[in-house]
Amino acid sequence: MDSFVLPALILIPLVGTIITLFMGGSREKLAKIVALAFTVITLVISTYVMLAGDYSQFDFNSGWIDSAGLKMSFIFTVDGLSILMVFLTALLEVLVIVFCHDGVHMEHGEPKRNNYFYSLLLAIEVGLMGVYLSADYFLFYIMWEVSLIPMYFLISWYGGPRRHYSAIKFFIYTHIASLIMLIGIFAMAFQAAHGGVVDFGFEAVKNGVGLYASEAFQTLVFGLLFFGFAVKMPAVPFHTWLPDAHTEAPTAGSVLLAGVMLKMGSYGIIRICIEALPLGAPNWQFIMIGMGILAMIYGAYACIAQRDLKKMVAYSSISHMGLVMVAMGTLSGIGIEFAIFQMFAHGLIAAMLFMVCGAAHDHLGTREIALLGGIAGKLPLYASFMMFCFMASLGLPGLIGFWGEFGIVFAFYDWTVANDMIYLLVFCLLSLLLTAGYYLWAMQRTLFGRETKKIDMGKVTDLDKLECVALAVLAIAVAVYGIWPDCALSFIQGYVDSIVNSGIVLPSLNGVI
Amino acid sequence: MIPLEYFLAFAAVLFVIGAYGVLTKPNTLIVLMCTELMLNAANINFVAFSAFSGDAIGQVMVVMTISVAAAEVAVGIAILLNAYKVRKSTNTDDLVSMRW
Amino acid sequence: MGFVDLAWLVPLIPCLCFVIVGLFGTKMGEKTAYGGLLVVFGTAISFLIALLVSYDYFTACYPAAVESHILWFTIGGYEINIGYYIDSLSCLMMLFASFISTLIFVYSLGYMHDQEMRKRRYFAEVALFLTGMLGLAVSSSLLELFIFWEVMGLCSYLLIGFWSFRHPEGDDKADNAASAAKKAFLVTRLGDVCLMGGLFILFLAMGSLDYTVVFNADNLAAAWAADSGKLLLAALLIFGGVIGKSAQFPLLDWLPDAMAGPTTVSALIHAATMVKAGVYLVARCFPLFCMDKDIMLFVAIIGGATAFFTATMAMNNMNIKKVLAYSTLSQLGYMFLSLGAGGYLVALGMETGEEHLMVIGALGYTAGCLHMANHAFFKALLFLCSGSVIHSTGTEDMRLMGGLKEKMPKTAMTMLIGTLSIAGFPFFAGFFSKDLVLDVVFETFEESGSISWVFILLWILGIVTAFMTAFYMFRLWFMTFMGEYKGGAHGHCHGESPNCMTMPLMVLSIFAFAFGFTLTFGWDGVFTIGLVDGAWLVGGGEAESGLHWIVELFTNWKTYVTIVLVLLAIYLAHCMYVKGTMNPGKFNKDGKSALYTTISNRWYFPELYNQLSWKLGYGVAKGVDFFDKQVIDGTVNGLSSSVVGGGDLMSKAQDGHVQSYAIIVVGGIVALFVAAALLFAQFGGL
Repeated sequence: MDSFVLPALILIPLVGTIITLFMGGSREKLAKIVALAFTVITLVISTYVMLAGDYSQFDFNSGWIDSAGLKMSFIFTVDGLSILMVFLTALLEVLVIVFCHDGVHMEHGEPKRNNYFYSLLLAIEVGLMGVYLSADYFLFYIMWEVSLIPMYFLISWYGGPRRHYSAIKFFIYTHIASLIMLIGIFAMAFQAAHGGVVDFGFEAVKNGVGLYASEAFQTLVFGLLFFGFAVKMPAVPFHTWLPDAHTEAPTAGSVLLAGVMLKMGSYGIIRICIEALPLGAPNWQFIMIGMGILAMIYGAYACIAQRDLKKMVAYSSISHMGLVMVAMGTLSGIGIEFAIFQMFAHGLIAAMLFMVCGAAHDHLGTREIALLGGIAGKLPLYASFMMFCFMASLGLPGLIGFWGEFGIVFAFYDWTVANDMIYLLVFCLLSLLLTAGYYLWAMQRTLFGRETKKIDMGKVTDLDKLECVALAVLAIAVAVYGIWPDCALSFIQGYVDSIVNSGIVLPSLNGVI
Repeated sequence: MIPLEYFLAFAAVLFVIGAYGVLTKPNTLIVLMCTELMLNAANINFVAFSAFSGDAIGQVMVVMTISVAAAEVAVGIAILLNAYKVRKSTNTDDLVSMRW
Repeated sequence: MGFVDLAWLVPLIPCLCFVIVGLFGTKMGEKTAYGGLLVVFGTAISFLIALLVSYDYFTACYPAAVESHILWFTIGGYEINIGYYIDSLSCLMMLFASFISTLIFVYSLGYMHDQEMRKRRYFAEVALFLTGMLGLAVSSSLLELFIFWEVMGLCSYLLIGFWSFRHPEGDDKADNAASAAKKAFLVTRLGDVCLMGGLFILFLAMGSLDYTVVFNADNLAAAWAADSGKLLLAALLIFGGVIGKSAQFPLLDWLPDAMAGPTTVSALIHAATMVKAGVYLVARCFPLFCMDKDIMLFVAIIGGATAFFTATMAMNNMNIKKVLAYSTLSQLGYMFLSLGAGGYLVALGMETGEEHLMVIGALGYTAGCLHMANHAFFKALLFLCSGSVIHSTGTEDMRLMGGLKEKMPKTAMTMLIGTLSIAGFPFFAGFFSKDLVLDVVFETFEESGSISWVFILLWILGIVTAFMTAFYMFRLWFMTFMGEYKGGAHGHCHGESPNCMTMPLMVLSIFAFAFGFTLTFGWDGVFTIGLVDGAWLVGGGEAESGLHWIVELFTNWKTYVTIVLVLLAIYLAHCMYVKGTMNPGKFNKDGKSALYTTISNRWYFPELYNQLSWKLGYGVAKGVDFFDKQVIDGTVNGLSSSVVGGGDLMSKAQDGHVQSYAIIVVGGIVALFVAAALLFAQFGGL
């Protein structure tokens, strides 16, 4: 029974996708409720899986293609690395459906049908669940592409004025990256071929490559895969698709994109690059750290210059994913642990951030910082949520963002001590300061000061009930995990122990006194 | 007996004449006729090889080619007539709408 | 299980008040001041618990510290704990913080009474603020302290920006408040980031951030032996955090701007919370700072310099709240001067093994703590009095006040007590602690050998500051309450403030007068620090009770120097602002002298910071944005348009002319054959 739980996590949204797809015409109004029902079921199941404790009972393994020396299977597993991402995906899917209004996406161009919108959201869930659950490289790759395509349509159908440019840019960028990743996958699978059979299963490849393939091979393949994942994360300088995609995407798309899709990149780096290619990883360590620091500082500075609230938040995502990159680059147990934690933390916070930015557009009609000002008086709820998520994002202690930053900077400091480069800590600290700077400046210009006269404040309304519910759920999660980070860390701990025990990374670089 | 080379040389000349016509003549009818010349050059080769090697399969191929050529002319002329109806011309320089 | 085990309740109760008022304050209605009464009540309970805890601690556990913690989580094998830590210092902190906050909140009920629904926000935020301060006082590890430290930063941001939208006095003030709030958060954040860096270094070096581990003398010595440079760096970075939070030189610029918030918030920030956290952190990290005497020298220099510079800024300011703000900075400077000078001697004593140096040094610690407590009382009093005046006159400009003594007798008298106290008038609270501070600095000068010229300089700065303090405080009091009645912004004042505002003033004035006498009951023993059996211990000295302090103070020539200076300053202020026999304009060429303008512009600090942050922040950001749009995105778009353009170019070859296609086909076949033939000729077979 339990072994069908994981396929169900993929199949339920898939069924939902198909049903909502055909709910045109008079049934269109029901689409939201149907989609909500399917996502809620998925959320319930993923919560059950998360709390189950022993994850191996859920393993699912079924043959698929086994001919001409190629073996691809339907293997689904879950562990401490993926479970938080699975939960996050399921949670955010529910919340975006709650948050988004019917017909909001009719602002630009011709009206589009609601049911397609919800169908695409569910299709994205299929892809995301597939990526996080599959344990077969071929399946993983297919799911990776599956998540890409509905997002393309979501942006190009329901997006802002420059949606076509952004959607194409998003698609081509990530598609090129995933093709290069595919080359890497093939290289690994064929290298690991055993007895004339190329088995694409994660385990099989890991056993075949892992500690056996030569360092040169691993370094090369690491590079191919790393490029594919780094674009998705996104790492500077391969990031420019992200601000454009975010600015044009509908709120729901942005939330999913920043909340869970970016994490596919870092998930891939940990799951595939570091776990399966442990000999190649050290050779890329400095590049990862360097790119991470670059992304942190560069993203933070870019935020200061932005004039669009949503674009600023998009650049802040780049900056915060830079932290994840740095953490992974340390190749230590603490680093990996807090990289995963930060992925989860950023998922929650970024979802709030993009919801707030989307609400700015829906309620105030603009996201231009220069047009806003003093709106806290008229929209107290909106202002509170905005301030809350900005504070969470800039790493206020007591909220989840702080622990991500704290752990990562600590892991990084650990690394700099081991490599005798303490001065690099300055960059991390600088980025924390800059983060506070751009958020506070944005708040000063939008929420506070004199009330703007550039938009008609007479007609604006505060957040409605559903929007508040979605934001409040996230806010509670951010606060609870912030006060008691062990709620999330305990899930990650098992995974980190397993990779430490298998000798892939050290728990910490300087040892405990 | 006439040596094989004579047949081959004749067929080659015929083929080149046909090809020249196809590549240069502006009138589509002449182009069609020139393709017939090229086909028949091939036919001569078939027949000649068949006779010299004593294998009847070459002659079978000729019959096949002739019937294909007949069908091709029928289709070709039909296209041509339609093109003429639309464009009032059968000049190849005027039938250039199939481009970027 | 004694009351001491309830210490965790002390910060928790205000926190609960914050949650309840924050969520349901609107529903509570005007009758409870939208939750204000609940907050006052909760804070009072918190104070009572703090009192019980302290009583229990001093009777049952003193001098050993009480510590208890639970495991929060582990990070790569390092344990992070959460718990409480009670010793004399934390008792002192939580007592005066909760007591003064209770009074300030009572006062707020009157001060904010016309704010209606906004009271909910106000009271929720001050409750959280107090949570931060009390949490900081009882926390048992530096990380826990940092969390509360940042919570206070957030609350100061919220409260300074309380009127950052819909300001009752117009949009300009709202803009001003928004900018001040941002500045406060960012400048303290700069310090906090340093502090965080220091914590990382300390964490890795010591393996834990718990006080019991970090401030253990053996552990410190071991870590110092292993890598002294890192520990030094950690101490400096931690002090960086203190500089930001307590607004010391050079990060002092945010505090005067922070006056944009309600006056009660200023009282809270200046007296009970926020800036005191910095002093507390230095006192708490005393063992770490004592590892190297140069750090302590640095602390002393920063403190002395701040005391002097900010006192000069207060000399010619016309805004009643700003004068008080500068005086806070100046008094904080005294505290750091005292801690630094004392710490220098302790460090020197540890280095040379001379016990008596450590004993004198510990006096610096005592003086710093006492001044912190005294300052909390008189500064709260002064701010609340100024709030009462502002409430009544509707202006903050002292030139529009004057002659209010008859109109507001209670405020005038209580404020006079506060002024005498801060000026260091004999027998008032400030007198004892200030003279003790100066005494310690002088003793350090006598003992510190080659570096002694620094300390004599600091001592001179100290007494000059004492003179200036007395002058500008009395200038403030005379301008406000004496002289000719001007009646404030609207030409008339509303008279005395309501009872709920004057009652706290009277209570505070009792403390502002009398708290100094606690010195005679053995402060030197209880609020001191020393190495007891090789371990650092706060408290634990033998309390020398009785009159010995009084005797010592009044048999010391230095005390008389300061008393004379203070009296001189008061006389000077009286001549200038009451009798008018001396025209202040004569000294500053009617406000046109270079010194006067420099001081008015706060020694050009704000200008410097604006330029710096604008250039380093926005300037670089513009560059990055340009690079992003033009170079990176330009490359990407260039690549894609070169692909599209290349395709366009190639498609030009498709002219649609069947025969040109045919020529290419034939030409291709011919070329293939020629190539095949050539290959054949070359290799003699395929």
